[in-house]
Amino acid sequence: MNVADVLSYAFSAIKLRKLRAALTTLGVVIGIAAIVALLSFSQGFQNTITAQLQKGFATNTLIVSPRGGIGGGAESSLLISDTNIIDSIDNVTASVAIMQKTCFVNISNTIITINVIGVDFEKYRSIYQSTFVPAKGQIPTNPQNDSIVIGARLHDPWQNGTIFADVNDTVEITWMRRSDGLFQNKTYTGKIIAVLNEIGGFNVGGPSDLGVYIPISQAQEFFETNECNMIIVLLKDDKEATIEGVSAAIKEAFSNQVSVTSATAVLDIISAIFSNVEFFLAGIAGISLLVAGVGIMNIMIVSLMERTREIGILKALGMKNRTVLIIFLSEAAIIGFMGAMIGIFSGWGLANVVARLGIFGGGRLQGANQTAMATQISITPVLTPTVLIGALAFGVIVSVVFGLYPAWRASKLKPVEALRYE
Amino acid sequence: MATIVEAVNLRKTYMLGKVPVEALRGVNLKVEKGDFLAILGPSGSGKSTLLNLIGALDKPTDGIVLIDGVDISKLNDNQLADLRRRIGFVFQFFNLIPRLTARQNVELPMTIAGLSRDERTKRAEELLEIVGLRERMNHKPSELSGGEQQRVAIARALANNPAFLLMDEPTGNIDSKTANEIIGLVKKLNEEKNVTIILVTHDQRLAKEAARTVQMLDGLIVEEMVN
Repeated sequence: MNVADVLSYAFSAIKLRKLRAALTTLGVVIGIAAIVALLSFSQGFQNTITAQLQKGFATNTLIVSPRGGIGGGAESSLLISDTNIIDSIDNVTASVAIMQKTCFVNISNTIITINVIGVDFEKYRSIYQSTFVPAKGQIPTNPQNDSIVIGARLHDPWQNGTIFADVNDTVEITWMRRSDGLFQNKTYTGKIIAVLNEIGGFNVGGPSDLGVYIPISQAQEFFETNECNMIIVLLKDDKEATIEGVSAAIKEAFSNQVSVTSATAVLDIISAIFSNVEFFLAGIAGISLLVAGVGIMNIMIVSLMERTREIGILKALGMKNRTVLIIFLSEAAIIGFMGAMIGIFSGWGLANVVARLGIFGGGRLQGANQTAMATQISITPVLTPTVLIGALAFGVIVSVVFGLYPAWRASKLKPVEALRYE
Repeated sequence: MATIVEAVNLRKTYMLGKVPVEALRGVNLKVEKGDFLAILGPSGSGKSTLLNLIGALDKPTDGIVLIDGVDISKLNDNQLADLRRRIGFVFQFFNLIPRLTARQNVELPMTIAGLSRDERTKRAEELLEIVGLRERMNHKPSELSGGEQQRVAIARALANNPAFLLMDEPTGNIDSKTANEIIGLVKKLNEEKNVTIILVTHDQRLAKEAARTVQMLDGLIVEEMVN
């Protein structure tokens, strides 16, 4: 019996029980759709984050932070003047110190809790030439101490033209610090001199849509410290040797009391985390496909019993055991294939709907006295060929594997007994 | 004349639960090319068991079945399947595949044998012409009468030019008028197309048309007659 005849015979058997076949297929559809939706969504999420990071955290930059890493409990400290040491290292083009403290910021009588970042505007701009760019106003080389530059999202938080803060608005910045066990408030009033272009996403060290930037000299005075949170280093190029050489030189210069993080390293960590998350999600979705597999096995055993006599006839007409096996496996494979195809399309559709609705879209700037959350991220689900082919293969393989036992039983039926079966 | 089927001291024992049942207790039989043999006997006499053995659907407990000179007990499942392609079966309950049309049912043995679509369509139409159902070939079994279904089954049995036809009560499930048509068809096939026929029947009218009859009782051939 040739392949086309086997397939057409198997297909005619499936067509006979349309509802049953549809329900069995539905099991596969759900499993595959879940896998495809989760994987394409998380792939899209990863791509977005990677792209955002590459934008805000160029591959030719390094972040030097006090030992303990970014945001870790620091034991050592890093001074603003340490940029001088770093600038003297080979292959370093520029470096800028960043001081950041969480403050209460009063804009238009609304108080929000946000990070206020002290940087040298000129140096910062030389490193982030494409992102530390004003959309409105000017960023002067020698700014007044009360100058403030804000990110695009603080200017127009709802993205609908309703202006929250604009150039020439005054802003009250209040910093609460603890000294001798007592909380003390310090406040100063500044003036917005520029609004940055929209950057999108988030990043490490680079300009952000939710940033409030003040001159480093003002930050030193207001926060009463010369310690900074991190120093961003711009390298001559992003070759691996340069990154490693400069990293080592910086560590040596600070007697290993600082951490040096490269964009590449951060990206590596993120992609490692994502592959774990993906594996976990795909595993959960995979379980639903196994349940579908059990459904296929169940339905095929029922079908086998109903068609015992038919199998007897086929054998009496000279069909070989192997051909009976192949016909039954083809039925499972057809169900798996159809289920996987529909599943891929519906999973892909589902991921897009979820992305469109922005269910995972990140928060927006909330009302008074609320912490502003990360800027909105838009995720475009990505269906890689690997996921596509993998899902298709997985759907068919699971169906065939669960079809093996019923098919094997069908092939082993004795013709005389099968013909006698009522 | 060439011997097509030969049974030598054929025995078959079934286990009915834990009780062994001797369905055949030493049957000897020879069928020549062009023969028309009717096997008669009451229920439980072993007729169907004998038919299953000469149809290579089952293996004997003891004794030898030679089909075209081949001992079936020495064949594996695949070889038995190949052998069955050279045997035409007609069953009491027609055993057509309900979802296939008359033509597709007749094509089925040729599909299994791997014939091309064109070849089998042409042959199926010829065979349906012979059994007088050409104009009904696109109907499904459920749309055909009992007699028509049995004629389709006969056409199917002839599909691969079998060495012989095995018929298990071919008129057992149809009314007497239709049975006459079937008897006429069987006779015509034997006389005009020289098809070798072995059939099991209760129908005296059908048995009378056979060239030879054997009477079975309790797993043995007790009487053999030439008409």
